[in-house]
Amino acid sequence: MSCQWREKVGPYVDDELAPAAQQEVSGHLVECAECTAALAEQLALKKAVSTAGKKFSAPPELHAAIYRQLHPRTGASSWWKWVAAASALAVLTLAILLAFPKPGGNEPMMAGLVDQHITALASSNPVDVISEDRHTVKPWFQGKLAFTFTPPDLAGSSYKLIGGKQVFVQRKPGAQLFYAAGAHKISVFVFQAQEGGTRPPSWGRSQSFSSCTWAQGGLEFYLVTDATRDEASRLVSLFQQANQT
Amino acid sequence: MGIKFKAYSLYRGKVSGLQQKDFEKLALPLLDPLYNFARWLGSDTDEARDLVQETFAKALKGLSSFQPGTNFRAWMFRILRNTFLTSRTGLERRKTEQESEQGFEDSVASYDTPEVSLMRRADIELVQQEIGKLPHKFQEVLILADVEEMKYQEIAETLDIPMGTVMSRLARARRQLRQQIVDQLGIRKTVGAKS
Repeated sequence: MSCQWREKVGPYVDDELAPAAQQEVSGHLVECAECTAALAEQLALKKAVSTAGKKFSAPPELHAAIYRQLHPRTGASSWWKWVAAASALAVLTLAILLAFPKPGGNEPMMAGLVDQHITALASSNPVDVISEDRHTVKPWFQGKLAFTFTPPDLAGSSYKLIGGKQVFVQRKPGAQLFYAAGAHKISVFVFQAQEGGTRPPSWGRSQSFSSCTWAQGGLEFYLVTDATRDEASRLVSLFQQANQT
Repeated sequence: MGIKFKAYSLYRGKVSGLQQKDFEKLALPLLDPLYNFARWLGSDTDEARDLVQETFAKALKGLSSFQPGTNFRAWMFRILRNTFLTSRTGLERRKTEQESEQGFEDSVASYDTPEVSLMRRADIELVQQEIGKLPHKFQEVLILADVEEMKYQEIAETLDIPMGTVMSRLARARRQLRQQIVDQLGIRKTVGAKS
């Protein structure tokens, strides 16, 4: 014979009973072993489903796609917008050519880095190591990358380190450091340079993001942000100072 | 591609119910839960991705019709589910699955504690596997109640069914899942009288 209160155990576990009824069931549970056992079982089951049911996570490219969907980059509706877009494209192409004069060009690399940045912006877990402390983030990359670099000391600046993650862009392993600058986010990517030498910071725009690249000490640095160049340039200087050889 | 363009034109449009920036704040945290729900509904990776994108596009399009103060999460989940039900997989599912509301035999649990402790020890993969064997109607109500922690009213709005049906369906889903897990764990169970 089943206890007549049994059917209230489910709503009780789900916190769906009115306060008075919740109180009543609590009182009943003290004296009914059957309902108490059912309660324990329902709680265990609810917990098991709650854990097991979180089986699927949206892939990073979906995060990026939704972000793009919400922040479309182009969309002309009249002829003059097409003309403006064409002019802008010409200027952008020129800027990229001037900004990245290396043989072979850096456009695919920068496009890949912008994608990485967008993915981080859209993700609820943008980094693999979460820390504001550069002394925690830097050692995390040891053993993951065949080179080392120094994240700058941000004391006295408006930047805040969020964390970092390892990335592979154009089949090259690198580090992505993720920073907050007010409401904006900045990604700084570090890769091993293919050739030595120093290259001064060179600013450009890529897919409506500000970008900057420079080389020093056998490393290549790339910065991508939706902040303005003025807002991000101090971080470039801080990186340059921290990685002086 | 079409979705992207649609989203853009909507982005520029007038929005009376909810502003786009508010929409983003509310909707982006739902991306993973919506994808998870889409997969549990029976979509494969590609279909789930399309479903989520279409859900965002439709939600953007219908922003002006969203009434502030009503449940945004239920609204988003309902859009996703309705979109799924009109998809090929969803239509096939509706055709083949004929779940009887009265068809499940109630079994009354006995209350031996070893069973409860075994239930606690049931590993995640086993529970996932057994949830996967449930009828879809049971799966979705379980995911919404126990993973998304939706209230019964919210589930009723999402699934567009009466609250009483939510309660009975959830109870039956849990009983069936519990029974399956118990069977898998090899526990001999006393089946009592029908309630």
